[in-house]
Amino acid sequence: MSRKTSRRDFLRRSAAAAAGVFVIPEIIPSSVLGMNGTLPPSDRLVMGAIGTGSQGMSNMRDFLRLKDAVRFVALCDVDSKRLSDAKEVVDKANKDTGCRTYKDFREFLEKETLDAVSIALPDHWHGIIYTEAVNKKLHVYGEKPICRTIRDGQTIVAAVKKNNIIWQTGSWQRSLPNFRRGAELAINGRAGKINYIEVGLPDGGRGIGTPPVQDVPPELNWEMWLGPAPKVPFRGVVHWNWRWILDYSGGQMTDWAGHHIDIANWGAGLEHTGPVEISGTGVYPAEGIYNVPVEYDFLCKYSNGIQMRVANSSKLKLGMGTTWYGDKGWIHTDRGNRLSASDPKILEEVIGENEIHLYNSENHWQNFVDCAKSGKQTIAPIEVAYRAISVGLLGEIAMTTCETIHWDPDKEEITGNPRAGRLLSRPYRAPWTLPTV
Amino acid sequence: MIVITVLFTASCKKGDVYKTLIITGQSEHNWKASSPVLKQILEETGMFTVEIMTTPEKGGDMSSFNPDFSKYKLVVLDYSGDLWQEKTRTDFVGYVRSGGGVVVYHGASISFPDWKEYNEITGLGGWNGRNEKDGPYVYYSRNELVVDASAGPAGGHGERHDFEVRTRVTDHPVTKGLPVRWMHGSDELYQNLRGPAVNMTVLATAYADTAFDGTGRDEPMLMVISYGNGRVFHTAMGHADEGGGPAMQCTGFLVTLQRGAEWAATGNVTQKVPFDFPTAAGVVLRPGFAEITLDDAFENLKSYDIPKSTRYFTYIQSQIRDASGNTEKLLEIEKLMTDFIKAGDASKEAKKLILRELSWMGTDYSIPGIKALETDPDLKDDVDYALKRLQSSN
Repeated sequence: MSRKTSRRDFLRRSAAAAAGVFVIPEIIPSSVLGMNGTLPPSDRLVMGAIGTGSQGMSNMRDFLRLKDAVRFVALCDVDSKRLSDAKEVVDKANKDTGCRTYKDFREFLEKETLDAVSIALPDHWHGIIYTEAVNKKLHVYGEKPICRTIRDGQTIVAAVKKNNIIWQTGSWQRSLPNFRRGAELAINGRAGKINYIEVGLPDGGRGIGTPPVQDVPPELNWEMWLGPAPKVPFRGVVHWNWRWILDYSGGQMTDWAGHHIDIANWGAGLEHTGPVEISGTGVYPAEGIYNVPVEYDFLCKYSNGIQMRVANSSKLKLGMGTTWYGDKGWIHTDRGNRLSASDPKILEEVIGENEIHLYNSENHWQNFVDCAKSGKQTIAPIEVAYRAISVGLLGEIAMTTCETIHWDPDKEEITGNPRAGRLLSRPYRAPWTLPTV
Repeated sequence: MIVITVLFTASCKKGDVYKTLIITGQSEHNWKASSPVLKQILEETGMFTVEIMTTPEKGGDMSSFNPDFSKYKLVVLDYSGDLWQEKTRTDFVGYVRSGGGVVVYHGASISFPDWKEYNEITGLGGWNGRNEKDGPYVYYSRNELVVDASAGPAGGHGERHDFEVRTRVTDHPVTKGLPVRWMHGSDELYQNLRGPAVNMTVLATAYADTAFDGTGRDEPMLMVISYGNGRVFHTAMGHADEGGGPAMQCTGFLVTLQRGAEWAATGNVTQKVPFDFPTAAGVVLRPGFAEITLDDAFENLKSYDIPKSTRYFTYIQSQIRDASGNTEKLLEIEKLMTDFIKAGDASKEAKKLILRELSWMGTDYSIPGIKALETDPDLKDDVDYALKRLQSSN
């Protein structure tokens, strides 16, 4: 693999630091010192994190749990309280007080010299920050869904390809044995030829009505939290609950697309393509600030004849999870180590030497570290994550327009429907723009 | 292989009007409050002309109560009290057997514990000494229907509260297209109902939370029963206060009543599910019982400001979804939206909402109107948003 964080960059930064512009990083990324920019496997990955909320901290703890794998040296968040709490965690792990903190990702990316960054942000920020981090040639562990719009996703995919970095999506179900086994049984035809898939994702939650405008808490930079999203006054909805508002998320449906749709694609060989026709309906709350669909049900048709139904789990007999239906039976898998089949014998099947053996990772975060060091492909690369969330985003467009959407999965365009086509992207609020690759 | 639920089916045909009789006059409940509200809810559809007939008071001479059921397509029971005279009972059973429609409303399931046919028609009942001799308990447990013949009294409810209703059967005309989970306005949650339950389907249930002295079971809320050639829709919900109150103003209650009534009268439901049917997100009330119109929505949206309800805007969104594929209808709505953003008396917060919607569904028609707002600094970002998107593939 080629790493572009060059010695020149390092020296430039050191010189700037020596001139007192900023503090010298006391831990020098091993990528800078290794031969030809490669990373000696014995060394820890020097990492930063952008987004120190619940998912960001969960990922950080998963990284820190790995033995001698990573060292976090810098953190970034628009909430200064969360930032200082996260610094405490990192300093404790590092047994020092040197972890640097930033309130602006641009400064973070400009000043830090890292091997990798873990990013966990509301979806509306993914397009810009993923692309900028990748353009800095950092390896990225990025949360799903990897984009809020299809155009954002295409940009991130292009940036990862161009910069040749290692990307791991936070679709950690792939690194659990029941999901991998289920997908492997499905793709090897143990339920027969797969012709139909059901994906059950969570129902939408309770609303909160239409809260009044409130003072922004002093620790929060609301303007920066909004970023490219439309400017709106603060109404108390921010961390975690952003997922119920369409400006920032598509609700449970897009939130979980990166899990169970991803698994569905894995077991049906659809990881590198998309549906050709999408139709369905959503149920939207009649009022309130939470405006994502609380129920949804859409059907995707693929050019090879497979159909995939995605619905909130209360609508489906088998509820949450992924079910592959073949001409000989079905296989279902879900969280809680669930794996079942129409005939229990299916689950005893041995996969032969010459059959398809899916990528095996036993720890999602270790897999990222290993790949960042070795240059190998991760278990959840960017293109695959993009294909999973694009199913959700196309479903969202079908529900918004209430029309049957025709999608060209090769050209990645909606055909014959300019109205729907506009929903493939969103204008960014000035001064933000989607970075060029 | 599968059926995708089509939420917005064709609206009702003009001209089909069904003669309906509400029977009331005695009840443990406030029938003077409930019966006019039932009449109004049914008449809002334009499908029913409703007559309210009151029986003599309790202890009165029931021989004067002798309706000609054959004149009606639908009979709504809001009555619990003295036993009808034999001829009236025979006529009623004959009416149902020969294909008449019946709606059993809330407290009507208390009535007539000893009239066998009545209990077969209502399916489930409670109180008045009912117990295992009258039939099993029927409820859901772990998502499965349970018919439980164990001994015990029938009927009851805990404290009134908002609760979630689960649609259990989604392919029946009454419930087709309804959300699977929806919040119902504060009501008595009937529990431990029991009865013959013959030819009965439970369409929806609600969890009787032990925190409100509930059974801890998913209790039947909406049922359909076939009796002879007749169709019966039974709603356990809708406890009345003066003017209806939250249980009757709940869009979920009134819409399922309207749909259940049409099904009981005709065997079909042509009404579409309205935009304000509640979801798991929260209770939705219609204090005036009437569905809003597009003109109402634009007029009321003018005064939208945080933190008022967004329902007039979401209504407009639902009308856009309903008009999908219909270029003419979409243009008609776009014209109304364009007039709206030009209007001097519309709030800026409301204009922002409309600009966002125009950004994807608009055409060249709305562009000059949007551009005219460019000079307003409060709307600049929203105008930019709309124009960028509209012009991206216009």
